[in-house]
Amino acid sequence: MPNIRTIKTTQKAKTTTFSSYSSSFSMQPMHLSAETPTSLKTMFALRFLRAYSKINRYKSPSRLSSSSSSSSSSSSIVIRRCKRIKLAAYASMARAVGPKRAWSRALLHKVLHRTRLHRSVTRPKVSGAGSGVAGGAINRTDKLRRLVPGGKRMDFCNLLGETANYIQCLTAQVHVMQGIADSLPPQAWF
Amino acid sequence: MSRALPEMLQCADLTVLERKGERMKWQQQQQQYQQSYLQESQMSFIPSFQTEMLELSMMQEMSKNGAENGWPDLGKYQINDTESAAYLTAGFGAGEDYGISRTASCPPVVGEEKGGDFPVLEKMVVKESSKKRRADKAATCLKANDVVEGTRDKRLKGDTNEEESKAAEQNPTTTTTTNNNNNNSSSINNRETSADSSKENSKVSDVQKPDYIHVRARRGQATDSHSLAERVRREKISERMKFLQDLVPGCNKITGKAGMLDEIINYVQSLQRQVEFLSMKLAAVNPRIDFNIDNFFLKEMLSGCNGSYSTLGVSQELTNPVLLQFNPMHQGVTCSGMDMAINPSDITLRRTTSAPLSLPDTFVDSYFHANGSSSNNWDIDLSTLYSGDFQQGRQSVFPSQSLTGNLEVNNLKMEM
Repeated sequence: MPNIRTIKTTQKAKTTTFSSYSSSFSMQPMHLSAETPTSLKTMFALRFLRAYSKINRYKSPSRLSSSSSSSSSSSSIVIRRCKRIKLAAYASMARAVGPKRAWSRALLHKVLHRTRLHRSVTRPKVSGAGSGVAGGAINRTDKLRRLVPGGKRMDFCNLLGETANYIQCLTAQVHVMQGIADSLPPQAWF
Repeated sequence: MSRALPEMLQCADLTVLERKGERMKWQQQQQQYQQSYLQESQMSFIPSFQTEMLELSMMQEMSKNGAENGWPDLGKYQINDTESAAYLTAGFGAGEDYGISRTASCPPVVGEEKGGDFPVLEKMVVKESSKKRRADKAATCLKANDVVEGTRDKRLKGDTNEEESKAAEQNPTTTTTTNNNNNNSSSINNRETSADSSKENSKVSDVQKPDYIHVRARRGQATDSHSLAERVRREKISERMKFLQDLVPGCNKITGKAGMLDEIINYVQSLQRQVEFLSMKLAAVNPRIDFNIDNFFLKEMLSGCNGSYSTLGVSQELTNPVLLQFNPMHQGVTCSGMDMAINPSDITLRRTTSAPLSLPDTFVDSYFHANGSSSNNWDIDLSTLYSGDFQQGRQSVFPSQSLTGNLEVNNLKMEM
């Protein structure tokens, strides 16, 4: 029992410090060039790791008790954590990009209002917006509209631009998350 | 231009043998002329706007009538000459050039087919070509008349439309000449140059549209701005598609919008699935080891910072085993000592981050914080001393170079 308390307190202290220096850091990106993917990566990594540590802190008490008692992970907890981590990843990416992009605004709105992310592909929705693209491209355009957050209200031209930026950010996100997952020590896995 | 005209007249009067003898000269000169014409046409296309449309259409009709009447050889040359002369009088540099290149190309082609019966063959060939020409000109003259009416209306309206009408009138003439040039190998080049020049000099970018759909030209006056906007939009779309093509791997081979959209959709979906998979992977991590996140954070930040890879390798190799060494001890700490140990580091951290420093300093701060939080089983004295040393090192070293300061802290920690 004292173990749990100590860890909780350390994590609390740590998150406060995290928030302190992240808040100080968030004043800084004017010095950096916010357009370059490296700075985007660092911004995303900072935000995501903060959120990740928060998620871990949130789940750690029940997690520790369950793991210390039975040392077996229930899959529901992992799935819930997975959802939270995914949400955190998307939200931190949208925050890192900022409000200048339509997709980041829409994504942040979705995350904040607990709308389902990227599940609207299965929703049978008839969109009457003929985007001027002839023939079978309309289906594909609608598909792309549902994939890119906030793409339903864009015209085709803006949709392509937002898609390009979204792809860039997604690749950066995948890269950073891959790095985090790879740099975890092997004893971190169950 | 003026050099070529008398030469052609001479050729009309020459006998067959002399023509045979001069065939080689013809070819050489023809090549030279074509090259020079191409250059000239590019140069003279732009200022050649000051032509009168009526003159041009009259000349075309004249030449058409001549072709229908079946004039003899000389007459046929005269047709060409009148055409080219008409072009000359009209000041139409490009059309003039095309006319001459066509006439210049005629004799060697025929002569190569059959050396003997030159005039007869030439007659046949010219008849064929005149048939073609007749059809073409019937179409183009209709076009031209339409354009003439349109241009008159426009001239009444104002001078702003003149450029447009002239650009429109330019296209039928060039198409006639290029259509007559079908036997010639340089017709492709001519077309290319005409297309290029029309692209170059047309601020009115929808010139090509009324060329193809000419019936809509009058109604198109109302929709001109729309078509212009549509064209701009299309250009934008194609540009962004190109950008996406560079972005999506494996999209370079695919041509066509539908295939590219498919590829883009697949790529976005795969990326989203990858994010899901990675979050699943991260969710499966034991959350007890989350204090190593500081370390990862440091690593990510350092890797994000350019030029610090050499120090990154060292510090990562050094810090990881140390932190893992502290792992078992970390759990056996009592509450009171740990809180006391953490507070100073917390304070120093706030102090250092509140100072206006650049990015590497915050790296080092987080690094220091990682060390402090993981080594919190040490005494308060040690941690305060640590922070003091850190402060000193920062004050002394960091203004000059932050990376060496990072290494110093690293060494300091190893000494501990």
